[in-house]
Amino acid sequence: MKAKNDVLTGQKILIGLFSFLLVATLVIVAGVEMKKSISEAPEIEITAESKQCISCHDQKGIAPGVVEQWKMSKHAVQGIGCLECHSAQKDDWDAFTCPESDVLVARHPTPKDCAECHEQQVQEFAESKHAHQFWVLKNADRAIFEMPIATRHGCEQCHNIGNIWPDKSVGECDACHTKHSFSKAVARQPETCGECHMGPDHPHIEIYTESKHGNIFKAKGKDWDMNYSTADNQNIPIEAPVCTTCHMDGNETQPMTHNVSARLAWESQAPWSYRTVWNEEKLGSWEKKRERMEAICKSCHAPDFVEMYMLTADLVNLQYNEIRRFFVKWTKRLTEDGVIDRIQADGKFLSNPVLNGWDEEPEKLMYYAWHHEGRRFRSGALMMGADFTQWHGIWEMQEDMIELMKFAAEAGYKEAQVWVDTNDPTKFVPYAIYDVPGNAWGINTRANLTPYLYKKFPNYWEEVRKNVKAAFERGLLSEKQWRYWEKRYQNKEYYLGTKFNTDDVFDIYSKRNDIDLEAMRKQVVEFEPPAKMFYMPKGKRISGWKFNRSRTNGRH
Amino acid sequence: MRVKEWLLERFPIDYQKFVEINEKIFIKEPIPYHMKKWFYAMGATPLIIFAFQVLTGILLTFYYIPSPEMAYESVRHITEDVRFGFLIRGIHRWGSNLMVIALFLHMVRVIFTRAYRPPRELNWIIGVLLLLTTLTFAFTGYSLIYNQLSYWATTVGTNFFKAVPLVGNTVLNFLRGGENVNPNTLTRFFTIHIGLLPPVMTFLIFLHILVLRLHGVAEIEGHEGEGHYPFYPSHFYKVIIATLFLVTVMSALSVVFPPGIGEPATPDQTPIHIKPEWYFYPVYRILKLLPLSVGIYSLVAGLIILTFWPFIDELFKQKMPKVKMNYVFGTLFVGVILILTVWEAMVF
Amino acid sequence: MTEKDKRPTSRREFFANLFMGGGVFVAAITFLRDVWMYLYPDLGRRRYTKYMVAKTRDIPLGKARRLLVGRVPLYVVHLEDGFRVYSGICTHLGCLVKWEEAKNRFYCPCHKGIFAPDGTVIGGPPPRPLDEYKVTIENDLVFITIEQRQGRWS
Repeated sequence: MKAKNDVLTGQKILIGLFSFLLVATLVIVAGVEMKKSISEAPEIEITAESKQCISCHDQKGIAPGVVEQWKMSKHAVQGIGCLECHSAQKDDWDAFTCPESDVLVARHPTPKDCAECHEQQVQEFAESKHAHQFWVLKNADRAIFEMPIATRHGCEQCHNIGNIWPDKSVGECDACHTKHSFSKAVARQPETCGECHMGPDHPHIEIYTESKHGNIFKAKGKDWDMNYSTADNQNIPIEAPVCTTCHMDGNETQPMTHNVSARLAWESQAPWSYRTVWNEEKLGSWEKKRERMEAICKSCHAPDFVEMYMLTADLVNLQYNEIRRFFVKWTKRLTEDGVIDRIQADGKFLSNPVLNGWDEEPEKLMYYAWHHEGRRFRSGALMMGADFTQWHGIWEMQEDMIELMKFAAEAGYKEAQVWVDTNDPTKFVPYAIYDVPGNAWGINTRANLTPYLYKKFPNYWEEVRKNVKAAFERGLLSEKQWRYWEKRYQNKEYYLGTKFNTDDVFDIYSKRNDIDLEAMRKQVVEFEPPAKMFYMPKGKRISGWKFNRSRTNGRH
Repeated sequence: MRVKEWLLERFPIDYQKFVEINEKIFIKEPIPYHMKKWFYAMGATPLIIFAFQVLTGILLTFYYIPSPEMAYESVRHITEDVRFGFLIRGIHRWGSNLMVIALFLHMVRVIFTRAYRPPRELNWIIGVLLLLTTLTFAFTGYSLIYNQLSYWATTVGTNFFKAVPLVGNTVLNFLRGGENVNPNTLTRFFTIHIGLLPPVMTFLIFLHILVLRLHGVAEIEGHEGEGHYPFYPSHFYKVIIATLFLVTVMSALSVVFPPGIGEPATPDQTPIHIKPEWYFYPVYRILKLLPLSVGIYSLVAGLIILTFWPFIDELFKQKMPKVKMNYVFGTLFVGVILILTVWEAMVF
Repeated sequence: MTEKDKRPTSRREFFANLFMGGGVFVAAITFLRDVWMYLYPDLGRRRYTKYMVAKTRDIPLGKARRLLVGRVPLYVVHLEDGFRVYSGICTHLGCLVKWEEAKNRFYCPCHKGIFAPDGTVIGGPPPRPLDEYKVTIENDLVFITIEQRQGRWS
């Protein structure tokens, strides 16, 4: 009986224990419940008028997508509804009365409306070259070549980013901050810049995609939150830069800016590469602008790398100028001698003198060597687009140069004929040369043993130094860059890698190369398929089929 | 004792007799000695859980709205807005899961101890009916959430009826209240879930216990006559402990794994992976594995074997008295269900 | 176990009974409390809604502006010490007050209630100042926070 009682007592205690365990659990449950009710954040809504717009647009199906996009915007969260941007006064240029109510609505919110809240950004944008309608200023008359209807959905669609509105505000914010979600992430997406910065004349998106930066973004970017703010000197939160990271976003040292010109040191899209003077009074000299860009680079890159990379790109720009000088010299000469004519009307030359026209071979060649190939050459060098610097750049410019000289030779210029006829390889560099010992990526001990100019001219570097020095003295390179160049020049055997002997390693590869060449020779070059060819130019019979003699005769 | 006398006057029953009956039926219900072990004493768990399902189910109907427009929203409201809504829904959801597990364990125990042996075969059949009712409960209940997964589980689940010969289409149309899953389906399932099934279940439970009591709890084969002890207090306490334990577990699970709500149902878009709740995995696996009609036939065959197993077992007993056929059957039962469940869980 | 069977309980058993009874009681009460809270409508939980009502530069010092939020008329007033937002409903009998810029006051036409720009009563029958909303200013935008008890479910 005692034992049985003990069991019962044990069970009672167990019941008690489980009861309190249950109570404890329920207390935790209550805790969860409490937390749930405390963390009630304010919900943000919009004014009654905006609500009216939204419900009507939804119901009538008038661009209801606009409302959906807006709902996802930060504006919606902040309680910024429709009329905050779309309100209009009676005589506003874009005012219309909503047909379903008596509300005056602005059809086109302009940067002026955005500036109500985003004043700094609008201001910065208006001071940037994005806002500059240079295409209207300089080349309006080329609309004779691409007639106006083509420019409507052509030129204008992109260049409207610098729209001057009837209310005198400048710019088109939604070119990047796509309405109506106005998402930062969309604005930062490289493809947004690439809507315009693409194609044969300025393949910036293609260059970016080719670059290491673009590659990392492609691989990992989908996991990045691109909605971050860089307003207050934060670290760059993404692993590789997108376009805006370098050209607009801030970092630890640089403030964020909507002035895309603030960090650009070259007018590398122009017919001649020249140092930027855009809005100098506010943005400072090109060196100041370059400093800003380098400050961004240095978030991730070592100072030495940045210095060398930029110097190399700068020298590419200077080199471009010299190549262009050659094109201009010959085109001018041909024009002056009346071999080719410029387009003109009413006693005025149509179009800018540097453009010259497009209807004759030398003009066309010069145009492409600037507007397409020359830009690719320079942009590729500035933004890590190796293939654009090389094959889509310098290679095609050089080919154009050959064509130009052939044209001049055919036109009877003796000098050109000499150029065409000579076998001297230096004929391909009939212009001043820039160079720098080595590259930013490391020391390549073999690459600098081969170039013809290095081998042929022992004073090569001394001559090049004269050009670089002159460029520095002309203000095209900074003093810091000049000193950096000098440092490399003084130690050029080191930077060129020629002081290191790696012949034994190289020999392995050159032997392999011999094997390769041998294989190619044996497999293909010396191979001749046995069957007779069907093509018989002399009209012989083959396998019962006869050539039509009269026709072949006619051809001859 | 004024109150008692006052009451007895107005409710004239033979009090003495009432006390006697009460003592006989409940307090002194003879419990076989082996039930002292927890292992044998868990047959009441499904009942306990069912009681909580009834309680929480009633509580849920206070807020649930069985209409296609509001079903999901009201479930969301219960889960997110209503105070302790997530607890009530959590207990109901975890209760449904635990009930299936408890039933399964109970059945396995019964198979292995051959508690269904004559003359208790009918109670086994009632038990199988209880299992089917529980699964119907679970299926209809899941569909009421009306989120993307439950909506499509319902669509797919009901579709299987099509393959049932002769009556399949009729049953399907009846269940859905139309040819496709439509607003009627939801209200039908709701009515079945809260109106039809609870009394059926209660009646079956009553029958189950009645038959059990009439026969007395089956003793373990070979250990008959080890004696009995009264229900109260020892076994009663066991039930209380089990109850407390289960509520604690269900509450804790509701906090650690709160009931989700998922995406609202969109009838024009099938999600990529549709799966029923895990307890339908074996059935789902078989139906995916075999051609639909073959699958259905084999399920029906399996069900028939399961239902009439006590008789089959007895036949075996007569032919081969030495072989413990129930062990074979029990192992097969557990094995097949576990393998199919795990299999289905692992594939998409 | 009827009364007669009961032996005097030992101290140990008494505590065991107490522990069990107390435990079950507390557990039952806790559980039932949760059930009650589940069933009883939640009147206390407040929802706050934030509205943008004005841009700071739109309202010069000393001026007021009327607007509607939902159906409630509001006045945004720019005082020396910042922005204030008042309900446009008179505290007397619920007529709508008017801002009279010339007289620099709110005026209720029903019973000639007069409120100062800071909302205080300076004349007429209103028993208390105009109701005021909590104001927050972010980036030159004036927001008010309104408590909302009405949701879809209550």
